[in-house]
Amino acid sequence: MINFEFIVNTLSLGSLYAMLALGLVIIYGILRLVNFAYGELVMIGGYTLYLLTGFTPLPWVAIALFAVLVSMFTSLGTELVAFRPVREKSLTAMLITSFAVSTLLQNGALLIISPRARAVRLPQIFSESVRIAGADVPWRNILTIVVSLVMLGLLSLLLRRTTLGIALRAAADNFRMTRMLGVPANTVISTAFAISGIMAGVVSIFWIGRSASVTPTIGLPPLLVAFVATVIGGMRSLVGAVVGGYVYAIIISLLGVFLPQTLLDFREAFMFGIVILILLFRPEGLIRSKTSVERIG
Amino acid sequence: MNRTFPARTLVQRNTTPILLAALLLFITIVAEMLGINLIVRIVTVMFTSLILVLGLQLFMGNSGILSFAHIGFMGIGAYASVLFSMTPQAKQLSIPSLYPLLVPIHLPFWAAVLMGALVAALVAAVVSYPLMRLSDAAAVITTFALLVIIHVILVHWDRITNGPRTLFGVDNYTDLWTSALVSMLAIFLVYFFKESRVGLRLRATRDDAYAAASIGINMVSMRWLAFTASAFLAGLGGGLWAHFITSFSPYAFYLTETFVILAMLVVGGPYSVSGAVVGTLVVTAVREGLRGIENYLNIAQVFPQGVYGFTEVVLSIALILILIYRPSGIMGSRELRWTGFGRMKNAPEEALQAAEDAKETSAKGTSAKETSAKGASHV
Amino acid sequence: MLVLKEVHARYGAITALRGVSIEVKEGELVALLGVNGAGKSTLLGTIAGILRPWQGSIHFQNQAIVGKTPEQITRLGIALVPEGRDIFPSLTTEENLRLGAFTRKDRSEYRRDLEEMFSLFPVLGERRGQLGGTLSGGEQQQLAIARALMSHPKLLMLDEPSLGLAPALVDQIFELVARLHRSGVTILLVEQNVDRSLAIVDRAYLLNTGSIEMSGTPAVLRTHADIEGIYMGDRRRNLSAER
Repeated sequence: MINFEFIVNTLSLGSLYAMLALGLVIIYGILRLVNFAYGELVMIGGYTLYLLTGFTPLPWVAIALFAVLVSMFTSLGTELVAFRPVREKSLTAMLITSFAVSTLLQNGALLIISPRARAVRLPQIFSESVRIAGADVPWRNILTIVVSLVMLGLLSLLLRRTTLGIALRAAADNFRMTRMLGVPANTVISTAFAISGIMAGVVSIFWIGRSASVTPTIGLPPLLVAFVATVIGGMRSLVGAVVGGYVYAIIISLLGVFLPQTLLDFREAFMFGIVILILLFRPEGLIRSKTSVERIG
Repeated sequence: MNRTFPARTLVQRNTTPILLAALLLFITIVAEMLGINLIVRIVTVMFTSLILVLGLQLFMGNSGILSFAHIGFMGIGAYASVLFSMTPQAKQLSIPSLYPLLVPIHLPFWAAVLMGALVAALVAAVVSYPLMRLSDAAAVITTFALLVIIHVILVHWDRITNGPRTLFGVDNYTDLWTSALVSMLAIFLVYFFKESRVGLRLRATRDDAYAAASIGINMVSMRWLAFTASAFLAGLGGGLWAHFITSFSPYAFYLTETFVILAMLVVGGPYSVSGAVVGTLVVTAVREGLRGIENYLNIAQVFPQGVYGFTEVVLSIALILILIYRPSGIMGSRELRWTGFGRMKNAPEEALQAAEDAKETSAKGTSAKETSAKGASHV
Repeated sequence: MLVLKEVHARYGAITALRGVSIEVKEGELVALLGVNGAGKSTLLGTIAGILRPWQGSIHFQNQAIVGKTPEQITRLGIALVPEGRDIFPSLTTEENLRLGAFTRKDRSEYRRDLEEMFSLFPVLGERRGQLGGTLSGGEQQQLAIARALMSHPKLLMLDEPSLGLAPALVDQIFELVARLHRSGVTILLVEQNVDRSLAIVDRAYLLNTGSIEMSGTPAVLRTHADIEGIYMGDRRRNLSAER
């Protein structure tokens, strides 16, 4: 049933997916690295929510902020400790490293906390709805949309108005030349990882907000989403990533409505089949961008 | 000059697989003689893992491409071999909704495992050809996508795999000597692939794709051959493993297993067959040791909530450290060699090894990433 | 200002520079001439810190710079305009220029320099809001040079600025280089276009397969160097000229 509620739902999902895609692309654009540990940043955010809601009396807004910060610092930490030393070596080494970091973080959570799911106390508003246009719209969805728009706006400001942001975009075009203009490589890369962590952190708030629990493996679905959305949007463009996120959400939601249950299970396989096809035949993504930039692969 | 017999020269120049097989034989005999059930189990599984690692080495070591799809083919081989080897009655019990066409098929163990491997290779051959022209990130993502697709299909295609549920009732055909024998054969297969013309050409494309193309090497075909062969080995390992463990679910063929196999290869050294073997041995030893500690801690209730994931944490840290400090693994790019046959030294191989070493050190002198000769577009 | 002594460098497995020694004094316009593959770009890359020489020394204003990162070397006041321009296609002209001023302490004053650049390069001013990728080859070359100038470099290195440009634009580029020289910028110019280069430079070095074949003022080079021979790859001549 495609009604107002469905539209809001899809928009909210798309906002989440867009942020996920952004966090992945911003690193890929500069380093050509597909960060397999990205999903675990969402997991870390989730576990922060769990720990702080379960063991401290802090207000939820503060806790949410903390989750974002912890994700950001985890991301920065992985860059400093694991990725920076292998950066100069080879792309394959970096890819394997990211996979190892992913395993490390997942099992770290397993070890330190528990292999079992942990319930997260959600704020009251996440279970409330508001009546708009004759439909019951969950506040959670509205919040998702609003927060993501704010995040996108902030990111856009950073990238267009500040020198650092311009340097980031330049690095995605041509990293070597950016360094030759005197921009320190480490600064650029750390900033990218920080943004990636922030995005993952924000996503974790609303992702956990849907399930109210967190497990060590909760990072895999967001990672897969980020992959697909990024590829749809053409892996080089930030705008593409955002659009890719929304497009993916629309496709998934429509499939959910129109596909019979038996085929629905294979939804993910279908989407990844599309990923392969895109990478084979249209690597610049399904979205046309303004400049034609040379592509690899 | 010494008078040399052709056969002797052949052996002298190719001591690696013989050495490695001898090593495996030694381990098998020791395990058998010790007679401890746990050790026999560990070694048997280790050999099946070795077949997988060897398969990955065949593709990754020669083509330079990181393939995430490997374990997917293990799963295909496992399920296919089981469908061939189980009796019709067992099949109807374990997979209630199995396609009627598949029920009556019943092959002896060896044939079933072989068929499983062939099915995996067939799927790989059909699916992978267009993917082989991709490189770098695109190649990695597509192989990862393949893994996800295979996984989803295995989990949801009830009528073949019994869905996400565990599949019971597989006969335990794989014993210590079976897996030892097959892994020894696999060593020879992978080694001679590496030394074959296809292997050589493939490595040329790994080192410099443009130069290789300019002398007429068809990169896509070479890669495709290697990918299919590696899928065959993955299916083989999967089939053997299935008939050892006797019950499994699709979740055994996903990211956790991928990590272990990858770790084994990278720790040992992805560019040599010896690396695959050494890595498997080392990682298995470390893993079982850590698991023993984990079990002890859990049984003794040292930590109230239990210790889980400790093994994987240590392994992943070890992997990261290896990538930072010794990215070509324990073996470097070397193979284990026996140079003790009288005065005949393996001169060509040594020169080759020296050249490879020189290239590695000069690549460290000038930052490898920066001196990419690709001009304005950067890698 | 810039002194290279006996620099040896490798590019991959190839020895690209053999015992190269050159010098650029303050205010000079010095050219590095030679055919493709002679090592000119490698030399610039080595100075800029992209490549590390395995022997020899490079001093910039009496400071040793071998082993420094490209970022550090840029901060010392060396700006490189690479072959192929390397402007940022998805940044606007203005953003490209703004990034050029990154190393300046008074970075926020970049707007002042922007206007200066637009008066020096009027066509860039017309395209200030356009994306770099939509500019023509000649415009991109001007942008690359302007971007380098934004950092107020002490030494400007240009790698084949006239490459791939139409003849009328080539005139413009050489005129521009001459004009910059007159305004006091120290320039190291790498070029294949010998004639044009000798017309504007103070001194030049002739590079042949990684080593300095000859050096001197344009007058000296024109009379004594067998430039044609080098360009035509005259083996006979190279063999007999063993020094």
